[in-house]
Amino acid sequence: MFKMSNRRLPRLLQTPAVILLLIWMLVPLGMTLYFSFIRYVLNNLRRPEWTSPSIENWRGWGNYQFVFNNKDFFLAIQNSLFIVGSILVLTVVFGIFIAVLINKTFRGQGVVRVLLISPFFVMPAVNAVLWINMILDPVLGLQGLAISGVNNFIEGLRTVPVLGPFFSLWPEFEPISFRSTQSSAYAVIMMVTWQWTPFAVLIFMTSLQSEDQQQKEAAVLDGASNWSQFRFLTLPHLGRPISIVVMIQAIFHLSLYAEIEIVSRGNGNKNLPYLIGEFANNNIGAASATGIFAVILANIVAIFLLRLIGKTLME
Amino acid sequence: MAIVSKTSNLVKYGRPILAWSIGLLFFFPIFWMVLTSFKTDADAVKPEHLIWFTPTLDNYFNMTENYDYWRFAKNSVITAIFATIFTLFVGIPAAYAMAFNPSRSTKDILMWMLSTKMLPAAAVLYPMIYLSKGLGLYDTKFLIVTVVSLINLPIAIWMLFTYFKEIPKDIIEAGKMDGVNTFGEIKEILVPLAWGGIASTALLIFIFCWNEAYWTVRLTTIDAATLSKLIEGNRAPEGLFFGRLSAVSTAAVGPIVVLGWFCQKQLVKGLTFGAVK
Repeated sequence: MFKMSNRRLPRLLQTPAVILLLIWMLVPLGMTLYFSFIRYVLNNLRRPEWTSPSIENWRGWGNYQFVFNNKDFFLAIQNSLFIVGSILVLTVVFGIFIAVLINKTFRGQGVVRVLLISPFFVMPAVNAVLWINMILDPVLGLQGLAISGVNNFIEGLRTVPVLGPFFSLWPEFEPISFRSTQSSAYAVIMMVTWQWTPFAVLIFMTSLQSEDQQQKEAAVLDGASNWSQFRFLTLPHLGRPISIVVMIQAIFHLSLYAEIEIVSRGNGNKNLPYLIGEFANNNIGAASATGIFAVILANIVAIFLLRLIGKTLME
Repeated sequence: MAIVSKTSNLVKYGRPILAWSIGLLFFFPIFWMVLTSFKTDADAVKPEHLIWFTPTLDNYFNMTENYDYWRFAKNSVITAIFATIFTLFVGIPAAYAMAFNPSRSTKDILMWMLSTKMLPAAAVLYPMIYLSKGLGLYDTKFLIVTVVSLINLPIAIWMLFTYFKEIPKDIIEAGKMDGVNTFGEIKEILVPLAWGGIASTALLIFIFCWNEAYWTVRLTTIDAATLSKLIEGNRAPEGLFFGRLSAVSTAAVGPIVVLGWFCQKQLVKGLTFGAVK
């Protein structure tokens, strides 16, 4: 009996955390579910009764139908997956390459590590503002300045005697406008990859340090090439870190918002969170139905990923 | 033989050169931001002043005037500090319970906690606005601290759990023999023993709280607005204010980047929940 009570109190200590998270999850989610089945808009002069949530405005599956028939919806899902998928592939590939590269000791290794990890700590809003304005702006950013520099250079070459006519056939380079076109997704992928590659590098590097060196030496003695050492020893060793990098990033990037907002303000490629935000400017019912879809999508990804690595986490 | 030594020379010099180039390339945008912050707005967009320019500190001196920087910075500091404290306050007992008194459901609870991180914030955006306005909490520091804490609580518990698991159970049990009660156990035995782990968790949570951009932007207008909101509000200066925008951005991320340099090792452990060693 004494033993029981001795263990009960310590176990009770997790309840505040559990209750807080339960409230945090269930209350807003329950409300979203409720709003998704009623007519609820912020402004409607003709039907003022729709501007406050009430069970009398029941709409059934209507909001879901509305969302389904919205052409932006599938585009947004597609964009969400495209953006997350591209970032995952790029960060993992760059991450492995850079981690293998800097894993050997060389002069200034510590400094290179510090330089490399820095982007990870930059506030997402600053990241986006910095890239879209100062680097990618087609006129005033580095992109614009570089391209107009190249164009001016070619312009100059045209006045060269003899060779000039050859350069006059040369087309002018056009800067890419990332702000409000299809290209906005690429800008987002670029800036997030810049920010999260360091994270992948850091984790892969840590993992590489525990790689079995004897096995490697044996492979070298057997005449294994660098590539086959990497392919058959290093890559399998990185299996678990790769799955963890993928999971953590999927959690963060499925809800990407600030970057999309800052890059295109919705004029370019929207992802699911952005579409929800847009609906929420007036049509709460539709925003909530889209939200429920986002939750389902996140759950599909989450179940898939947790299954994949759940075991390795708990060992 | 000659060929072998030639390749090894290539590797010998090639690796550091390539590594340094990549390191500098990744750091370049930050370097560029800091450099631009010392230019006047006019110089910042002139190709002839790309590298050569007369440095000025005006952008920093005028930050208060142009952006009201300090008010936002104060809110960021308050939010991050209180959210970190609150997270640890709730997280340490929870992680303690799970690490030293696990039950059959502990694993499921931990997984469930992590899964709350996967709930897309946008899905519950409107209910949060509705609730906070209804309760009169919209745009208050209390609300932002609470929300930011809850977002980071799962990660904090996971990190602490990972650190606590490494402490031998016997040491904690020994305390029990000496008649120390549960809270004494946490305060006098666990916290001093796991101090390093708790500190790195706090550091990382602080960074996450500082950088949080979704809720701090959506649930605030003026009173509780943090630096994320300030930056997002000035997202498109159309090139007119590159200098001053760089200065305020540098001031917003500088302290955190430097803080990050010191906790990069812990970051690996924390964010991979100890699964990568």
